[in-house]
Amino acid sequence: MSKRPPILYTVRQANTVRIVWMLVTLVLAVMTIFPLLYMLAIAFKGPTEVFKSNLIPDRPTLDNFIYVLTEVPFWRYLLNTFFVSVVVTVIALFFHTMAGYALARLRFPGREAIFLAMFSTFLVSLPVIIVPLFILVRSMGLLNTYAGLIIPSIFNAFGIFLLRQYYLSLPRELEEAAVIDGAGYWRIYLSVILPLSRPIIAALAILFFLANWNAFLWPLTVAADPNLWVVQVAISNFKSQYAASWNYTMAASTIVALPMLTLFLIFQRQIMESIKTSGLK
Amino acid sequence: MTMATTSQKVAGAKPAALRLSARRREAIAGYLFVLPDALGLLVFIGLPMILALGISVFEVDGFGNFKFVGLANYARMWSDALFWQSLKVTLVFAVLLVPLLYVAGLGLALLVQRNGRFNTVMRAMFFAPQMVSLVVVALVWQLMTVDKLGLLTRLLYSLGLGSVSLLGNPNFALFTVTGACVWFLMGFYMLIFLGGLQDIPKEYYEAARIDGAGRVQSFWYITLPLLRPTSFFVLLVSAVAAVAGAQAFDLVYVMTRGGPANSTALLITYIYQQAFQYSAFGYAAALATLLVIVLMAVTVVFFFLTRGGRFQYE
Amino acid sequence: MTSDNNTPRGWSRRSVLKGATALGAAGVAGLPMIGKAFAQDNALSFWQFYAPGGDVKTQVDWFTTMVDAWNAANDTKVNLEYVVGSDYISGSKLATSFASGQGPDIFIISPGDFLRYYNGGVLADLTPHIEAAAQQDFPQSVIANRMVDGKIYGVPMEVEPMAFYYSVKAFEDAGLNENDVPKTWDELLELGNKLTTGERYGLMFETGPGYYQNFTWYPFMWQGGGEFQTAEGKSGFDSPAVVQALKLWQDAINSGAAPRQILGGGGGDIVANLGSGYCAMQNVGIWGISAMENNAPDVPYGIFKLPVPNGGKYVTVGGGWAFVANAKGKNPEAASRFIAWALASMAPDSIQRVVDWCTVAKSDMPPRDSALKQGGEAFNKGKMAVFSKDIHPGTRAEPRVPPEVYKIISDAIQATQLGGADPQATATAASQQLDAFLASYSGAPIL
Repeated sequence: MSKRPPILYTVRQANTVRIVWMLVTLVLAVMTIFPLLYMLAIAFKGPTEVFKSNLIPDRPTLDNFIYVLTEVPFWRYLLNTFFVSVVVTVIALFFHTMAGYALARLRFPGREAIFLAMFSTFLVSLPVIIVPLFILVRSMGLLNTYAGLIIPSIFNAFGIFLLRQYYLSLPRELEEAAVIDGAGYWRIYLSVILPLSRPIIAALAILFFLANWNAFLWPLTVAADPNLWVVQVAISNFKSQYAASWNYTMAASTIVALPMLTLFLIFQRQIMESIKTSGLK
Repeated sequence: MTMATTSQKVAGAKPAALRLSARRREAIAGYLFVLPDALGLLVFIGLPMILALGISVFEVDGFGNFKFVGLANYARMWSDALFWQSLKVTLVFAVLLVPLLYVAGLGLALLVQRNGRFNTVMRAMFFAPQMVSLVVVALVWQLMTVDKLGLLTRLLYSLGLGSVSLLGNPNFALFTVTGACVWFLMGFYMLIFLGGLQDIPKEYYEAARIDGAGRVQSFWYITLPLLRPTSFFVLLVSAVAAVAGAQAFDLVYVMTRGGPANSTALLITYIYQQAFQYSAFGYAAALATLLVIVLMAVTVVFFFLTRGGRFQYE
Repeated sequence: MTSDNNTPRGWSRRSVLKGATALGAAGVAGLPMIGKAFAQDNALSFWQFYAPGGDVKTQVDWFTTMVDAWNAANDTKVNLEYVVGSDYISGSKLATSFASGQGPDIFIISPGDFLRYYNGGVLADLTPHIEAAAQQDFPQSVIANRMVDGKIYGVPMEVEPMAFYYSVKAFEDAGLNENDVPKTWDELLELGNKLTTGERYGLMFETGPGYYQNFTWYPFMWQGGGEFQTAEGKSGFDSPAVVQALKLWQDAINSGAAPRQILGGGGGDIVANLGSGYCAMQNVGIWGISAMENNAPDVPYGIFKLPVPNGGKYVTVGGGWAFVANAKGKNPEAASRFIAWALASMAPDSIQRVVDWCTVAKSDMPPRDSALKQGGEAFNKGKMAVFSKDIHPGTRAEPRVPPEVYKIISDAIQATQLGGADPQATATAASQQLDAFLASYSGAPIL
């Protein structure tokens, strides 16, 4: 390396640039989160104050949270939702990484056609298929069961598509080394592919969990039994014919957002683990 | 093909049935890996989908009465003014939403891609809209845009734009609703881009820096090209979501119910109303079939243009 | 990682996969069905959005007491199943159940939905189970929209008339008192403008599209003598009465007196709007009384009946849900008997039940003359008195229309109120659409 890199910025200039970007990010982040402050504000207000435009409640109260957690079996709903979300996420990650890997890397006849067929299921959203799906699930005897909540929620082409794209851009060299070593595909999948996909799996774990945590239409349709309610169904219950108990709704929504936030903070670190690619160039 | 020659060498020593060529083994592995998802998708989405679309040649009233009507439902679409209106609304919505989400998602990901506690907090803040339920999002936007009192309303007023009703005026409602969707969804796409950005080996950037490339050049010649699979994904998924309504429908419906004056009536909203408010399941199925066909065509074009989304990696 | 190429790797891989999938499937499918069996097999399911999961205790009690009383005396039990309100009214739950052949045995419907269910053949004829005296006890104006060819298909549980509520404080700030309530449309608009400030609107009509908006608009059409359907079954929408009604709502918005966007649950949510000071006068129904009492008890308000146009006649619209039986359910006969016993019997407990619903569980007008009499004082105290004396006489039942007609009228209202379209042109265009539809319509009469 005989050529000296041209000095583009002085150290001070580089720091200033960085601080400016940080400020920009901060401003954008505050703007993003600002509307949610209304949610927090209402969660601490009494019913008469809800629609006043003040962000700081005149008479802050914890009553809404107390009501939600004691008058309504909210802990049960939180548990239900948590259970369903975890099971779906784990199984889905497992199945989708397998399928994504095969569709990206393995050669088999009809691969692209199969992928397109699988992707085409992404083109129909739930309202379109909900009636036949309901009939199907009912004939399987899965109405009002956890299985009925979990199984249909696992299968969604979104994750398969994303993982396929991700695996497409993985450097082939590591797999090829394993294949030369005589490893079977299952082994390659477990010891090479899965560890390499940590960032994307972490991202998908968050997204799958979130999708199930905040799911509404399917749980509402398949589980009429209040023992199986998930949190979003329970929250919609605070709305009656002409009005809604917005203070309870917001308090409940705040409670529901907290585990999600925790999960996010934990997992997002995983996304940031970059792949060690030394030795490949 | 070392493996093939090895197996040929010991050909006589193993029964033919157990001698699987490498190609065959790979194919079998491929099918098995894909099997659980393929089966699940077939049963839980494919089957209902075919059923749902098959209803389109019947007139179904949702109470057990149905009558075969051939293509009458499709003919009805042609002269249905509300259908065309919803098509127009959906198009405008998609054309606005997709680029905005792409730019917002990628932009935010670039801003927060470095590690550190500051960025961790920033990421959580950008993702926060995703973590709250739709009913919260709808209410919060209602409060911010309500006439006279809403924060955004007052902001626009103080900027000299007069008293604009952001969700109550048919000329503005669609834009407001699109804005709300971008706000709601950008954290989602930011996350996906973060995953994709991590994929790019750091060595490339270092090499570029050593060669004297500036940040913009790095971005243009390294980041963007290597992000192609992710970009492809984001563009296609957000386009499908905008049109087929996976993420957008619930939000728009809860905020405006398709109003004011049908200015935010997406096609998926129209389908939903036909099915669940008017009990016209046959017509709703015909509309949905049309939608799927159009989306399928768009998807096929996308895939064709990008050689199956594989870019230069195959 | 060297291994013998000739070992049939496929087997071990395959068996692992197979085993894992089988385990997974067995594990998930074999999850115990937590929660007791949801309904016994021959019990009748009664779907509504009040009990047992609703959050108004008096309403929950009313339903559970009623069902318990029935179950104690009858073999065929009735089982209350609660469906979340917003989903019952505007969601997909009911439609999905009916479409999959498993609709509830007993449920409640609003007049707006009557034709959809009747034309689908799922409403059982309740007349054989209702004694003649009871049939007479329901005034025509209340029960006509639940009847076809002289037969009763639904029994109303309440009547909810529409009126105007005003904020006493807003009036006082403008130096007005209860004698200044507007009696004509011109006065209404004028007062609306007067009471509009930088922080508040003077007037509020519903602006969100839906059956409710149509429902609140109808009386304004009727007051001018307009009808959307003539006696011959043709469209009556292209008439001065309709045009002036559309224009009233348009003027309210254009003059700045009424808002385009509404807080909370919409125009029917009085606490979020009048109660928070967002508007000074609001077009709301009788349920406003209990809503204000429960959630905004410190906000003083008054009530006045709908103002009339020049040369118009006072009339208001009365909504109210009805019990119906699923003709395709497991036991329509028992379901019909239940409904007749619950709300349409001359036995004192039945009448009292109606009174209790309208005075204890909710604040509504009763759908039966005997209940009005038996309720006596309860209907005459406080704000209810305004309704029983002033507003209720002159109530016309909410029309029942097929979904297509609903949409034509809704689009007309939306286009003029929010889209600024010319009322006459809109009325004419809508009328043509209405005629086209009515010409090919062959269901039960639209009332």
